[in-house]
Amino acid sequence: MDLFLPYIACLTFALALFAALKPSPLKLRVTLIVIAVAASGWLIGLITGSLSAFTDASQGVFFVIFSLCAIGAAIRLISHDRPVYCALYFVLVVLSTAGLFLLLEAEFMAFALIIVYAGAILITYMFVLMLSNQPDEMNNSSLLSYDSIPREPASAVAVGFLLLCLISGTVISGTEMLPEQGTPQSQWATLPHLSKQFEASVMEIDPAFAWPPIEDLNGNIIQFNGDDAFVVSSEGKTLILPIDVLPRNTQQVGWSLVNDFPVSLELAGVILLMAMFGAAILSRRAIELGEQEKRSMFASSSSNRSNEQGNEE
Amino acid sequence: MMTSSALAGYLIVSGLLLVIGIVGFFVRRNLIVMFLCTELMFQGAAIAFVAIGRYLFDYSGQVMVIFILTVAAAEAALALALVVLLHRQRDTLDSDVFGELHE
Repeated sequence: MDLFLPYIACLTFALALFAALKPSPLKLRVTLIVIAVAASGWLIGLITGSLSAFTDASQGVFFVIFSLCAIGAAIRLISHDRPVYCALYFVLVVLSTAGLFLLLEAEFMAFALIIVYAGAILITYMFVLMLSNQPDEMNNSSLLSYDSIPREPASAVAVGFLLLCLISGTVISGTEMLPEQGTPQSQWATLPHLSKQFEASVMEIDPAFAWPPIEDLNGNIIQFNGDDAFVVSSEGKTLILPIDVLPRNTQQVGWSLVNDFPVSLELAGVILLMAMFGAAILSRRAIELGEQEKRSMFASSSSNRSNEQGNEE
Repeated sequence: MMTSSALAGYLIVSGLLLVIGIVGFFVRRNLIVMFLCTELMFQGAAIAFVAIGRYLFDYSGQVMVIFILTVAAAEAALALALVVLLHRQRDTLDSDVFGELHE
């Protein structure tokens, strides 16, 4: 691989991004964004090598589609004039990211991302946008001047270009220094902890399976022979576990969450609670009641009460 | 299985999203869109976590995304409450207007 090609791709990306941030007619802007997306696709292609890097070609094609979608929508997000459309383009980024997660076999996180981000957080953003969006009276259009004129695009894109060069340089030189790839066998480590499911699935394969005594189990009950995982009964019989006995992605993530990060889980709960209190306190509007209003409120409540008493009688 | 060059591809996508988020945060002047750009940076970090977790067959990467979601939700709630507060005071969302915080 030519040493300078990735940096040329980074430079093309940065120049197209800079030009796309300037206010310009829609057609020119879309063309510039397409150039920026093409440059980022070139960069990804240079670093990945070829589609054969993926397990099969369709996975590589989907990777390219989802990543280019995410990058294009992200650029449109930071260059669009209207904040509501920015929020909608962010939904597109979230959906593409969820697609990438599906390719990475993180099914639970993919759908959690769509539910939490596209479903909850984005709705909050849309609410605030709708609450606060007012047309500008000055130039008599529905576009706000602070939305269409960028602030310091040149220096921002320069910083972004340097950061992108640093990241791509690190990724290129770092791929040789990566740690050993994990083995698929580590996926089996969760199964003995899900003891009921483990027992039921073993019983389903071989109802006469004799469990070894409990003191012999100590953690390494599942053994490996090449690609196959198997358990050994107390009679010395081996039982090969089929791949569909493997815990599902949600079970794996859940086990890792409560087993490896219990304190962080508690902290996350506290953070969410505090954020809820903080938001409620910040956004409440204190209503000052005048003397007259207090009196009328008291009068209406006492008259209500006398009405209720009258009904009861 | 996942080759190291496929991992490099995922990492460069996450880096690109991070860079676009940072550029957007500097460039945009609307407070709400600035916060959207921070969410964009969170997305980039999440992709990197999941990709490395997949490479190492370690599910901690996906657990980190749960924590990223938590922080993003808390940040969105607090930041948007602050934005509503500021908008009530100055009747604008332009971040340059809030450069001087005194009345």
